[in-house]
Amino acid sequence: MKHDSHAYAVASRDIVFESFDGEAVVLNLANGKYFGFSDSGSKAWQALSSGVDAQALIGLAAGGSTIGQAELEHFISQLLELGLLVRSEATAQPLPGELPAGLAATNEPLNVSIHDDLADLIVVDPIHEVEEPLGWPAVKQAS
Amino acid sequence: MPRVTLETLPDYARYVIAAAEGAASRYPTTRKVRLPWLELTAHLGHGVLADALSHAFVEAVHDQPEPSACRIFIAHPGIDGIPEPARWGDAHFTEHGFAKRLAEAGLRGHYFHDLDFWQVYDPQRRVGVQLMASADAFPPWEPGAPLRVFLHWEYAARGMRLTHAGTLGAGGKGILLAGSGGAGKSGTVAAGLLNGLDSVGDDYVLIDLAGGVTARPLFSTLKQDAHGFARLGLQQRLTAQGPLNWQGKHTFHIEGIAPRPVPMMLDIVALVVPHISGGGASSIMPMSRRDAMIALAPSGIAQMPGERESGFRFFSDLTRLLPCYRLSLGTQPREIASTIEDFLTRGAW
Repeated sequence: MKHDSHAYAVASRDIVFESFDGEAVVLNLANGKYFGFSDSGSKAWQALSSGVDAQALIGLAAGGSTIGQAELEHFISQLLELGLLVRSEATAQPLPGELPAGLAATNEPLNVSIHDDLADLIVVDPIHEVEEPLGWPAVKQAS
Repeated sequence: MPRVTLETLPDYARYVIAAAEGAASRYPTTRKVRLPWLELTAHLGHGVLADALSHAFVEAVHDQPEPSACRIFIAHPGIDGIPEPARWGDAHFTEHGFAKRLAEAGLRGHYFHDLDFWQVYDPQRRVGVQLMASADAFPPWEPGAPLRVFLHWEYAARGMRLTHAGTLGAGGKGILLAGSGGAGKSGTVAAGLLNGLDSVGDDYVLIDLAGGVTARPLFSTLKQDAHGFARLGLQQRLTAQGPLNWQGKHTFHIEGIAPRPVPMMLDIVALVVPHISGGGASSIMPMSRRDAMIALAPSGIAQMPGERESGFRFFSDLTRLLPCYRLSLGTQPREIASTIEDFLTRGAW
C-alpha cells in the first residue's frame, strides 16, 4: 500500500449498508446511489469498513483465487473514489478469525457494481447557475 | 416574494401549515378518503385534483373501529388567507439535505422547483399542506396518485411503507413485482387481472411487515403505454377512455379490468423481479436477495422524498422475509398470468 495506515472507515453517516445472504448492498443516502458487492467483495467490504488491517487480506483465498496486492489496491481505490471508505488514522483491527474461511468459500472476484440510474440527478443552484435562455431558476445536470 | 433557505426552512414549513389551517373555513370543497388505518380529509378547490381524489383511491373497509384522522390542505393564493408560495433561496439544494433539515424539526417536506410547489407535513399532528402558486399549478403526475407523499410520510411514521411495486394474487396469496419503470410491472399486473388474478395495485401499494408481509391497496389507477394497451386488448374492453397522461400513457382504474372486487389485503409470499425476455414462454427462477433488493429499493426510495434510511432498512427487512425470483416474461398475456397463477397455487415458494 502506498500510505502508512492500512485501516479504513466508512466515509460518512450517509453510507448505510445491509447484507443479504452474505452479499452486501450499500446506499449513499446523500445522492441515492446504490452499490452491490460480489460475494468476496462483500466479505472484504465488511472487513475494511470495520477497520480491519487491509494488508491482512493479501494472500487469502477468495473467489477461486488468491487476493493479490494489486487487486486489493484497485478494489480499495474504487471504494475511496466512490466515497464509500476513507483512510483512518485509527489502529487497524486484527483479521476476524472466521474471515479466511468465509472468503475461501466465495466464488466471485473482488468487485463492486454501481447502480445510479435513479440517483439524484439534479442540483439546483438558483443563485449561481442562472442560464438566461432557460429562465430562472435554472436547473443544471449534476456533473 | 420570500425566499427560503435551509436555515429558515422549518419556520417556513410551520408558517405554511398555520396559514393553511387558519383558512380552513374558506376552502371551496372537502373530500374524505378511507384508507387502511387512516381517514384522510382534504380541503381544496374544485377541479382536477378534487376529481382525482374522488376516483384515484381504493377505499378501505376499516378493520379498526377508529382510524386515525389526517388533514391535508391543498392551498393556493386564490383562497383568502393563503400566501404566495416562497422560492428556494439557498445557493445549494439537495433533496436529502432538505429532508434532513425538516426531519430534525419533526417535519416532512418536498419542494418542486419548477412550480414553486411545496408539500409539508407534521406527522405528530397529522396535518399537511400542498401549497401551489395557483389552482392548477401542480406537477402533471399528481392526479394519478394524488397526495402520495403525504401517505408516504404518514405510513412511514407508523413503520409501514408505500412501495413502488406491482402485485398479483390468487386465493389471498400474492407476489410483489419489483423493478424500475419499464421492467414490465404494469403490463404483468394488467395481464394477470385480465386473466382472473387479483391485484392491490400496479404502481404504489402499502406494505406492512407486522406478522408477515402484507400488501394493501391505496390507488386504483393503472396505466399502460399504447403498445401494451393494444397488446392486452384494452382498446376494445375500455371503450370510455380519457386523455393520455403526462407520460403519454393510457390510464384506467383497476375496477375496470379486475375479475372481482379488489381485495383489501394480499399475503405476500414472494418478491418477483420481472424482465421482458422476448422469448416465447414465461419462467420463474430463483434470484439472489441482493439483486432483488437492488431491483426493489432504488425506485421506491428515489420517488419518495425523505425517509431514505428508514426506507433502506424497511426494504432490506422485506427482502430478507421473502424468497426472491426472476420472472422472465413471455409475450402472451394469458400465458404470463397462467405461469404466475401456477406459481401461487402450487405453493412453490
